[in-house]
Amino acid sequence: MAAGSRGAEHLIEMRGITKIYPDGTVALRGVDFYVRRGEIHGLLGENGAGKTTLMKILSGLLRPTSGEIWVNGRKVSFKSASEALKMGIGMVHQHLALVQVFTVYENIVLGLKAEGDARLRIEKLMEETGLKVPLDVRIENLPFGVRQRAEILKMLYRNVDVLILDEPTTNLTPVETDELFETLRRLKNQGKTVIFITHKLREVLEVTDRVTVLRNGRVVGVVETSKATPQQLAKMMVGREVVFTVSKPPREPGEPILEVRDLWVRNDLGEWAVKGVSFTVKAGEIFGIAGVEGNGQSELIQAITGLRRPEKGRILLEGRDVTGFPPSKLYRMGLGHIPEDRQGLGLVLDMNVAENSILGVQRGRRFMGKFYNLLWSSIRRHASQIIERFAVVAPSLDAPVRSLSGGNQQKLVVGRELSKEPKLIVAAQPTRGLDVAATEYIRKLLVDMRTRGKAVLLVSADLDEVLQLSDRIAVMYEGEFMGIARPEELTREQIGMMMGGYRLAGG
Amino acid sequence: MDIGAIVEIARQTTYAMTPLVLAAIGEIVTEKAGVVNIGLEGIMLLSAFIAVYVAEVTGNPWLGLAAGTVLGAFIGVIHSMISNYLKGDQIISGLGVNLLALGLVPFGIEAVWHVRGYHTVPPEAKVPALPLLRISPVFLLTVLIAVATHYMLNNTGYGRKIRAVGENPEAADVVGVNVELVQTVATVYGAALAGLAGAFLSIDWLSSITKELSAGRGFIALALVNFANWNPLLALAGGALFGITWTAAEWLKIIPEIKAVVPISLLNTLPYIATLVVVAGFIGVSRPPAHIGRPYKRE
Amino acid sequence: MERQKLIESLYRFAEIMVALIAGFAISGVIMWLGGYDPIKAYRAMLGTSILTTDPYNLAMTLSFSAPIMFTAITFAVGVRAGVFNIGAEGQMYVGALGAVLVAAMSLPGPLYLPLAILFGSLLGALWGAIAGVLKAYKGVNEVVSTIMLNWIAFWVVEYTRVDLLPNPRDPSKTIEMPEPGRLPILLKGTELTASIVLAVVVTLLSYYLLWHTVLGYEIRATGMNPRAARYGGINPERAVLWSFIIGGIAAGLAGVCEIAGRPPHYAITTGLSNLFGYGFDGITVSLIGANHPLGIIPAAIFVGGLTAGARGMQIVAGVPLEMVKAVQGVIIIALAVPGLLRLLKTRLTRGGG
Repeated sequence: MAAGSRGAEHLIEMRGITKIYPDGTVALRGVDFYVRRGEIHGLLGENGAGKTTLMKILSGLLRPTSGEIWVNGRKVSFKSASEALKMGIGMVHQHLALVQVFTVYENIVLGLKAEGDARLRIEKLMEETGLKVPLDVRIENLPFGVRQRAEILKMLYRNVDVLILDEPTTNLTPVETDELFETLRRLKNQGKTVIFITHKLREVLEVTDRVTVLRNGRVVGVVETSKATPQQLAKMMVGREVVFTVSKPPREPGEPILEVRDLWVRNDLGEWAVKGVSFTVKAGEIFGIAGVEGNGQSELIQAITGLRRPEKGRILLEGRDVTGFPPSKLYRMGLGHIPEDRQGLGLVLDMNVAENSILGVQRGRRFMGKFYNLLWSSIRRHASQIIERFAVVAPSLDAPVRSLSGGNQQKLVVGRELSKEPKLIVAAQPTRGLDVAATEYIRKLLVDMRTRGKAVLLVSADLDEVLQLSDRIAVMYEGEFMGIARPEELTREQIGMMMGGYRLAGG
Repeated sequence: MDIGAIVEIARQTTYAMTPLVLAAIGEIVTEKAGVVNIGLEGIMLLSAFIAVYVAEVTGNPWLGLAAGTVLGAFIGVIHSMISNYLKGDQIISGLGVNLLALGLVPFGIEAVWHVRGYHTVPPEAKVPALPLLRISPVFLLTVLIAVATHYMLNNTGYGRKIRAVGENPEAADVVGVNVELVQTVATVYGAALAGLAGAFLSIDWLSSITKELSAGRGFIALALVNFANWNPLLALAGGALFGITWTAAEWLKIIPEIKAVVPISLLNTLPYIATLVVVAGFIGVSRPPAHIGRPYKRE
Repeated sequence: MERQKLIESLYRFAEIMVALIAGFAISGVIMWLGGYDPIKAYRAMLGTSILTTDPYNLAMTLSFSAPIMFTAITFAVGVRAGVFNIGAEGQMYVGALGAVLVAAMSLPGPLYLPLAILFGSLLGALWGAIAGVLKAYKGVNEVVSTIMLNWIAFWVVEYTRVDLLPNPRDPSKTIEMPEPGRLPILLKGTELTASIVLAVVVTLLSYYLLWHTVLGYEIRATGMNPRAARYGGINPERAVLWSFIIGGIAAGLAGVCEIAGRPPHYAITTGLSNLFGYGFDGITVSLIGANHPLGIIPAAIFVGGLTAGARGMQIVAGVPLEMVKAVQGVIIIALAVPGLLRLLKTRLTRGGG
């Protein structure tokens, strides 16, 4: 094939892209990726497959270790994202690149020389694309869906031809997702090319024309969406038949362990994040909370685990009122907490494995001597046991936790919390960002804990996870429970409606 | 207290507030771009020294002010190199500048004038006060700079770039803003104003140069930035409040009734105590730029 | 793993050496611009402090290492807790004041020293705790508050010297520490007293505290990640406050040792001239010592050597004493540059090729 000869068919050609990060991680191994003009192209893969890295290279944020990029039949080499943007390639990241304290308008025109009739032209653009955004409101005062529209608008105002969207539906309600897909189809009809990064099969099947599947830094295949089945895509994505269920022996729940009564919690901005939530988690039960992220789940968890003081309501642990207790006290009473942000909250990345293995129990009798001295030999024995029992791969006990892979970091956190032999386990997004093996392992551990009679409170944005593991499910929306039910009593549609703010009929 | 005394206090306050406000406005711009410069104190001191030297050699105080400003800008370039391009530790770099000044200034005083520790500025090297009002032209310039800086930050494209870089450098980078360059411009601007503040201290207000000349004013300016909620006009107003504590301390020293009760040394603590109290009382009300003090790295 | 750790430490050491060389080189240029002979100056400075076998000179170097070893701990413990406590200067002033207050009492001889140590470290701790409380519970920037407290301490102590406890025989200083309250002189004819022993012991204790006690663990966790610390049942505010208190104790002891263990004055002199600057020197020492107690000991001897050698430099080359502080400033600025060595290497190879 002569260089650029297929430019007419392929708007984007990425050839033999390899990316090795400075720390030696190989993210991409000779990827060929072609996108046709005017299509919606899905880029499917698990976490860590290399999707985002590949698109960061295309949008100029990262430079490939080797390989070539051709746009419109011309070879390019972007030094920055702004160069790619000038060539008409723009990427909408999961965390949007917007200045929070600026208005939508200020964000759209940031860095442009002549503003002139910018406002008029933006309004015209909104008309054409159906992306309605209030121009003079600060980003921080807008809900996520609207911010995302502003970001897309910003790209379009800069005349992008290729719009890359990185997992755009993660923080959207089902209704907002539909609206986004509608917009993408409209953009396609106007001649734009869209690259859609996701790991959700349903979305790929719904909105794309073709799909490229990545696994472990390699292209597994390219298929026409119309000819693809979910089973086929899933197999390509994970490299084997996916086990969609976790075996869970039936079990009668026991005594109530955690009781939450009419709990009200504010967020950092002082707004109500949790509005009068009540529920009970019993021994030998997994209670799952589903919902779009940012609907108060984090604040609820923080209140239960002592990291945030509730304004009103009661939290009882084994019948004892523990409202407003600090974490140290709750741990002593039998709380284990697998936090949603393992790197920011669950671990001190610059401390070593041994030191992290006692975080939260450092003042326990096993680890602290009479003179407040640390009993290092006992601590090291404890850390070795966790590593062994939970299959944590770590170079040594003295290695900083930063040097461990994400999966092993999470196993360390889970291992530490479970080895406390807690009565109540609060697990928030316990498998986020992990590979399939680690995900299955951790899910199995949670189920084991339930089987052994522990109470488990699970919060996850991954609906499948909640459905598979939970004995009972609550869906949270804007700080309230839309309903509590057994998973087998609910259809996906019902859950989707609840996630979008409709109460469960009769619930 | 009669009208005359009040006017005199006001006049003296214009002097006391000028260095604080100048340094604070400069630091506001620097911090708006996401860079912290705690070396203001050291810049003031070094610029105070160079201003005396240049003004004496040339016999022209205006050149002295210019020299102080330029030296400040030069240190700003060094701080920018370390903070913005080499992504170094901004606090440690600033500490280094402060310590450097603490050594270089007494060294320079001895090397140039062959005296230990203290040199008085001769009259021909002093910035003349404005006739009638008897206030410094630098004060008027400061008011002008406050207004102009406020306008620049909030009403111009470059001001928008500065604010964007301090809030979300990635967002600015993606749309083609040269983050490091904008940060450098803001840092150099801030350091230059601190330099002018230092020159004002030595060849205008206090007419001397010692290693204690800046007396913590660089750090009070940092407090003022916070107090003014990163707003140059509020810094001007807040500067008057902070400045008046210096004037008040001097006045209280000459009032016989107070002199009898409170010793002079203790009155000297007034501006520092006032700063602590004000800062402790107003924290949390203000909102710093989101990406302040952290170097921006692309990868 | 052990090997990698060793390589990392060697690398860090090499980087610090580069910063030291940069400090000397750039300051040399400044000296030369000022009309002095830098080679002669450095030869005199190092020849009368570190690079010598003369016991008098070595003893003087050690005597100047003592106070800055203490104040370096102040800064280092702060950094470990995630704060920039640059208030050792003021905490040292009040520590010295505490010792002078004890000196002014009439007590049985053996009580002077322990009481001075107790009083001085208490006052230092209190002074540090003010900044600590403001930081932990009010969010006041510690860089600003500690400098304000330094100045307040300066004037309060100066007031005491002039108005409260002036020396009846010599108005330029305070009442001096009576004979029985003084630390023993280790080498006759020098200023080297048991201060250095105390300083080394306290430095080793701070190492034990940081790495072998639960409080140290909690301080370090807070400094590296306050959110994770809170999750780990640690009260990060309290950990920060403790770091200020511990730092204040160390700085306070520096002040006590200057009163009880520095001939010939055994008192605070005019304008606090015999104390001025040790607090800031501690920052240099801590940074050169990689903010680690075991690094601080050699770093303090090095910087103490600069201070001791400054006199030799002034006598032989005529360079004003203060130049050594400028050298320190340049060293710190160089230390602010991350990966200094790597940077230098790429520049050099690029320049060569």
